[in-house]
Amino acid sequence: MRRRLVPLVLIAALAVLLALAPLGLSDYHRGLWAHVGVYFIAILGLNILVGYTGQISIGHGAFMAIGGYTTALMSHYHHLNLIATLPLSFAITFACGLLVGIPALRFRGVYLALATFALAVSVPELPLKWSKWTGGSGGMQTATTPSNLWLYAVSWTCAALAFAAAWLLLRGRTGRAFRSIRDSELAAASSGVSLPIYKTLAFGVSAAFAGVAGSLFVLVTNGFAQPNEFTVLLSLQLLIGAAVAGLGSLWGTLAGAVFVGLLPELSTAVPFVGQGHGQDVVFGLIVIVVMLLLPNGVAGLLFAIDSRFNAPIKSDPAAS
Amino acid sequence: MGKQAKISAVLVGIAAVATVAVSAASAAPQATPGVTAKTIHVGGTFPLTGVASAYKTIPAAESAYFAYVNAHGGVNGRKIDFTVVDDAYNPAETVPAVQKLVEQDKVFALFGSLGTATSLATWGYTNQHKVPQVFLASGDAYWGFCAHKACAGSPKPYTIGWQPDYASEGRMYGKYIAANIPNAKIGILFQNDAFGKNYITGMQQGLGAKKSEIVDTEGFAATDTTVTQQVLALKAKGANVYFIAATPAQAIAALVTATKIGWAPTTFLANVSNIRPFLLVAASNGANLDGLISSSYLPNWNQQNLPGMKLVKSIVGTYAPDLSSDLAQGDSNIVYGMAVAWTFVYALEHAGKNPTRASLETALHSMNTSKNPFVYPGLVIKTSRTDNFPIEQLIMTKWSGGASGGMLGVGKLQNTGR
Repeated sequence: MRRRLVPLVLIAALAVLLALAPLGLSDYHRGLWAHVGVYFIAILGLNILVGYTGQISIGHGAFMAIGGYTTALMSHYHHLNLIATLPLSFAITFACGLLVGIPALRFRGVYLALATFALAVSVPELPLKWSKWTGGSGGMQTATTPSNLWLYAVSWTCAALAFAAAWLLLRGRTGRAFRSIRDSELAAASSGVSLPIYKTLAFGVSAAFAGVAGSLFVLVTNGFAQPNEFTVLLSLQLLIGAAVAGLGSLWGTLAGAVFVGLLPELSTAVPFVGQGHGQDVVFGLIVIVVMLLLPNGVAGLLFAIDSRFNAPIKSDPAAS
Repeated sequence: MGKQAKISAVLVGIAAVATVAVSAASAAPQATPGVTAKTIHVGGTFPLTGVASAYKTIPAAESAYFAYVNAHGGVNGRKIDFTVVDDAYNPAETVPAVQKLVEQDKVFALFGSLGTATSLATWGYTNQHKVPQVFLASGDAYWGFCAHKACAGSPKPYTIGWQPDYASEGRMYGKYIAANIPNAKIGILFQNDAFGKNYITGMQQGLGAKKSEIVDTEGFAATDTTVTQQVLALKAKGANVYFIAATPAQAIAALVTATKIGWAPTTFLANVSNIRPFLLVAASNGANLDGLISSSYLPNWNQQNLPGMKLVKSIVGTYAPDLSSDLAQGDSNIVYGMAVAWTFVYALEHAGKNPTRASLETALHSMNTSKNPFVYPGLVIKTSRTDNFPIEQLIMTKWSGGASGGMLGVGKLQNTGR
């Protein structure tokens, strides 16, 4: 009984804190924490795929781009309510995720990593090809731009919903199937777990989370969508965030999101670093330090790749 | 239950304390943000890293010019404190960076920020907060037209560009072709977005009745690394005039490819790519540059002895020695940076002894000077309430001297008029 109550109370307290926080935050910091909420959703989605199902993706920035442009296009041309674009992004990127999941059935380990990497490189090119509708490198603007308070409230509400959905999905039969695929595909298949169904499902759900995050990402960028926002670096940042969070565990997601969302801001405060490349150096150093101090993150990532090549490992070091 | 209640109570307590502390910290008001008795704080966003980092000499040159001004007494006794922020040419980084400059660093104005998309992502915000967004490093016509006309929902009087807009430049080439090249068959290579299309529209206007002389237009995507197919298509259509509306990477490829396939039309180059070090790269890869036509609002390669150019050299030597080798190569972005920074100091001086954001906005819309030492001699920088384009003059330039040459002026300064 106690084991269950403690996390529940912690979550409730965190929820209360997050709900009250905007009262005490400056407008700028509301915007900054809205960013953290956006990364929270994306990293959560990535973790379902990488941490729980053992499928690598270096391409989640592509799904964010699809979600982001869905919101931008729907708002720009159809003046659709911004909130209404979120479920639409969810549905479209869910479908895209399923489609990507099908060929991914044939790829494993580094090959899957490369295939998803290709996705991250190619999708942001599409708005340039279709510049008639998307404005190309000039970008495009939503019809309305919400306030930072709105962004904070909506992104953290979505984050809470996403967390609840992920928890419900992963605690039961589906989560068990995901984990069994991660631990041993052979064992999973022989226990009656359908690999095609569950792998594509994991891709779909994961992509849909990224899609909603992408919609919100465009909104926190003053409603402006442009290909440079969704480069490969974004995909890598999400993966780093998930690794810092600890793969195969939902509880670290907030830490991963804070890391990715706040670090650029915090590193400018480090003396002698300044701007430009110095910031990247700080980012890299902190990643290394975090990885040394929190080996679970690294272990989880290695596990996901390793289990594709070697015999099943007995226990998952990242599982809590 | 008691323990959980305690945890909740502690957390609520922390939240309450944090609330009070933060709101108290953000309460102190200030008459004009960023202006003190001794300083004026301004900030700008630039691609110091990433795909467009070749432009990072611009903020370095601007900082050097402000250091020079500060060492000579500042502006009405105030020193300019210029914060340069890296946005990697990514609007998703520009937006929080600008919010931070305005709300945390409390800058007086934004100065010099680079990029069309990055500026479009932030101009709604800056105009809503009435923060001057001064002299964007982008030649889009939006900044000129939208001061008094609703764009993206509302007029944007606090945003202003600096250089001539792309369409005006295209118009000038069009007029030149109509007047000087009989029986022209024009092939245009353009970046397939607003940037490239602005040039085509301008050229069509300049050609007027002869606009049917454009026999082909070939687009490429901003991220394409090769333009060979497009150049071959233009040659195949029999074009004898070649207009390259591209940024440096593709412009270099476009020049090299044309020479390599044995095509020697009269070539016009958009002036965003008229930067000597980049053109030398094209030359070293086999492009024949002699006769290449472009335009400029800055002094030409053979005008190194102008007082302004000597001043650039001395400022770089004293305040930014890192830029010396770029300057020696003829990196006109350094001259550009100084010229823009000069114009900003001019506007600040005309914004009153104690400038406010509103008085700067007024000063920006009533500029009239031909004293900028860093621009082409005689060029006038002029704005009014109804004209938000600071520079509307260009000098045509033509390359001579082969692989060790440079751009020389042709004729007189022309009004690009609108």
